[in-house]
Amino acid sequence: MGIERVESSDAELVRRVRAGDIGAYGALVSRYRDRLGRYAVHMIGDHEDAEEALQDSFVRAYRSLARCYDPARFGAWLYGILVNRCRTTGARAARRRRMFVRDADALNGAAHADQADRLEWTDSVDRALARLAPEYREAFLLKHVEDLEYEQIAELTGAGISALKMRVKRAREQLQKYLREAEHV
Amino acid sequence: MFEPEDDVVARVIQQLRRPVTIDPELDARVMREIAAVPPAQRRVWPWWSLLAAAAVLGALLITRPWTWDAGRSGPDAFQFVLVAPQAASVSLVGDFNDWDPKRAPMQTAQGVWATVVNLAPGRYRYAFLVNGVEWRADPGAPAAKDDEFGTPSSVVTVGGRGS
Repeated sequence: MGIERVESSDAELVRRVRAGDIGAYGALVSRYRDRLGRYAVHMIGDHEDAEEALQDSFVRAYRSLARCYDPARFGAWLYGILVNRCRTTGARAARRRRMFVRDADALNGAAHADQADRLEWTDSVDRALARLAPEYREAFLLKHVEDLEYEQIAELTGAGISALKMRVKRAREQLQKYLREAEHV
Repeated sequence: MFEPEDDVVARVIQQLRRPVTIDPELDARVMREIAAVPPAQRRVWPWWSLLAAAAVLGALLITRPWTWDAGRSGPDAFQFVLVAPQAASVSLVGDFNDWDPKRAPMQTAQGVWATVVNLAPGRYRYAFLVNGVEWRADPGAPAAKDDEFGTPSSVVTVGGRGS
């Protein structure tokens, strides 16, 4: 009795959306929102801008679904749309980038020293990430946080693999430098 | 005393890999926006919107009614979608199927329930029957105030007829 839940593949869901089943697109949104949302938040820095970019990417993907030539790789295709969208948003937001300064009262009000340390560490990481050049931040996040292979990153960004490796290396060095500086503030 | 470079970067990566909270309404906003993309030959009622009020019940109803172009009079396919992750079964019932849940069972994909029915121009009352017992109106659609059965229901008007 009851209904058995069936896990549909990306390809099957894309096929259903193309056949007019808009609900199937809801399943794709649900499947990718958290992972893509994390990338957008870290890449853009501002949570609100990131959610706007994420929403816009989902809508663009829906409207362009006919151009998703390999539905089994819908996720990678969607990633590409988001990466481009984040570049646009990032360039626009760079002039008004919000620094990740946490309210001093919040730090003072932290229940435990450990909690305050965690908040400070989180802020330091956010600040260091924000100081990276966008192409370094992009390569670092895709490689180390999203765990993509260089070949996949090259496909998403259009950059060569050796250039990407250099960007990741520079990003690692600079993060180390910025975080050391933060320890002395 | 500095940590080795690899340790610092490893801590950064660990920090950045933590889940980020995304507004739970984002899914609904996406669905509402794509529902507003009119396929060729169709247009959308401007007053349609998707509300997240059903989140109280752990469910969100999204309905996308379309209207015929002026001058056309035959039936057309309309898709009804219900996001109800907790539901075990959902049926669309209304004037168009004699309120018979067996005639429009909805299919699910990860909690998103959907079905397509053909509707000729006219005015229809409808509701969702969740788990065979719970009646839900569509919070994004006008409520049917003339429902003589005392259960919540909504109204869709196709092709500009009725009220």
